Amino acid sequence: MVKLVSKFIPRVATIEKTVTETHNIKTIYLKVPRDFERPKPGQFNELYVRGAGEVPISISDITEEGLIAHTIRFVGTVTKMFTELEEGDKIGIRGPYGNGWPLSELKGKDVLIVAGGVGLAPLRSLIREIEQNRDLYGKLTILYGARTPRDLLYRYEYPRYEKIPNSELLVTVDRGDESWTGHVGVVTTLIPKVEINPENTIALVCGPEIMMRFTVKDLMARGLKENQIYLSLERRMRCGVGFCGHCQVGPLFVCTEGPVFPYETIKKYFWVNQI
Amino acid sequence: MTEVNYYCGTEHDLKRLFDAIRERGYRVIGPKVINGVIRLTELIDYSEFPRDVEDIQVPGSYRLVKGKFFRHGPDSPKKYLFPPKLLLFKVYNDWRIEVPEIEEEPIALFGIKPCDLSAIEAMDRVQGELGDPYYNTVRKNLLIIVENCVEPGDTCFCTTMGTGPVAKSGFDIAFTRVENYVVFEVDSELGTELLEGLNLKPLDPETRSKYVEIVREASSKAKADFAIEGLPEELELSLDSPVYKEITEKCLGCANCNMVCPTCFCFDVVDVPNLDGIAERVRVWDGCFSYNYAIVAGGHFRPDLWARYRHWLLHKFSYWLKQFGRFGCVGCGRCITWCPVGIDVRESIVKILSWVREHGEVS
Repeated sequence: MVKLVSKFIPRVATIEKTVTETHNIKTIYLKVPRDFERPKPGQFNELYVRGAGEVPISISDITEEGLIAHTIRFVGTVTKMFTELEEGDKIGIRGPYGNGWPLSELKGKDVLIVAGGVGLAPLRSLIREIEQNRDLYGKLTILYGARTPRDLLYRYEYPRYEKIPNSELLVTVDRGDESWTGHVGVVTTLIPKVEINPENTIALVCGPEIMMRFTVKDLMARGLKENQIYLSLERRMRCGVGFCGHCQVGPLFVCTEGPVFPYETIKKYFWVNQI
Repeated sequence: MTEVNYYCGTEHDLKRLFDAIRERGYRVIGPKVINGVIRLTELIDYSEFPRDVEDIQVPGSYRLVKGKFFRHGPDSPKKYLFPPKLLLFKVYNDWRIEVPEIEEEPIALFGIKPCDLSAIEAMDRVQGELGDPYYNTVRKNLLIIVENCVEPGDTCFCTTMGTGPVAKSGFDIAFTRVENYVVFEVDSELGTELLEGLNLKPLDPETRSKYVEIVREASSKAKADFAIEGLPEELELSLDSPVYKEITEKCLGCANCNMVCPTCFCFDVVDVPNLDGIAERVRVWDGCFSYNYAIVAGGHFRPDLWARYRHWLLHKFSYWLKQFGRFGCVGCGRCITWCPVGIDVRESIVKILSWVREHGEVS
């Protein structure tokens, strides 16, 4: 007899903490088995809710105690199950998968983050990485946009981001409300507001695809080259290991060859309708 | 060809070979007529192997008539190496995870065609390389007896794809019907051992020349109106072509083409909760034509059929080469035959190429 030990068998993780981020987003902090591989910023895990299904969710933080954070928006059948999960509950976890942000490429460079909506989640652990190893990186610029003030993620962390030496944080919303005194407009409207040294900058972009397309155009107009812009893509992913087929963008498997791609690698397919 | 690898026998020797394989403890899987269709299923006796039937395959139609030679039906070896439905594991209430076991039962594929042999080689690069434990367990003990295609059918294009109609390597034994004789070829130690047990005579020059002629004749068929040289690169120039919309005007999005394809490997994993509280994770075949394939909560990456068709075709004929170093199509023609509206991938490719040639280096 042969035991069918496949790549699809999850480990068991315990929810240690949950944080309500917005009306439809929450972050769960997971205690994972000791030998679970430590994820890199920009990677993702497959999270399994027993009896419901599995979802690929990016890693939004790794705490000092080694808890792995995932920020989840309740939009689909499985993610909606997370509304009911609390501290002490167990879920399945597989990963970490994907390549993550190009940390070695970022060393000594100015880092320009452009994030839209829940797209800030995979960049949050990178911000922490830069904060903790501040000398390794150049100027940090964070441009972040969400639909409305109540959709902004991690507002409680902005004061901390602003204290990071040699950094700048600009936040915008598509539509303000009575309490909002900040900038209004899509995230690309923040790009003209910041200084960019095209010689020495790497841009990291994550958000809805339409937002990433406009961002790429605007960044290239500011002098960034195709190999200086990295995009993190979202696709349906059932396996995470380059097998189930769903995540293909042209010949690229987003789960194994991405989810982070230099624009130069995907530009051929990036503009193709319904690729 | 080296003489020692070729032997000559009769239909009766095929039966003896069949029996010898069964005696060695193999579960024999082969073609059998079930409800007017050739299916792959377990064969207990050689008499179940279809005789005097021919499959008439045209775009959108399959029927069996009396005849001398058959090709295949909707099933391919994928059914046995990569089953349509497979339990991955069970999760109990207390989060105990139970991983299923399978028996290491040796399987012999008896009488598959060269296109399907090529499909197994394709799967070796996907399921095999990616370490699918079920696939590799079955594959490790797989005995492959190929029947060379002396009469390719109307939807076949294996000659164009370079996968048939005669198998080149990768089998244990290949046999070819030459008039009243059967020519046997071996390509493995086990194959040699099995044939030696039958005490067949080496291939004589006269039958050999008849064999060569039959192979030559067969290889002049099963051709599509395109060549594979440069095809992947040329097809990728069609990414923005409106021709896909025209091709898929009739497409129903049923994913039959995915299901009958011997190399389509996509799958979904679904949760089956049971009343006793045990949840099962089950792997099921999926196809890029199904509506849900490219959907995510809050968005759909390929809502239109023409985009799904473009992905499917470019995957088989272009992306596969970048991903796995070979074409994902073996030219078996099943997607043509089993398409309920008869969309012919050979015609599609010709249309796409003519668009590309007309519109030049569009990018």
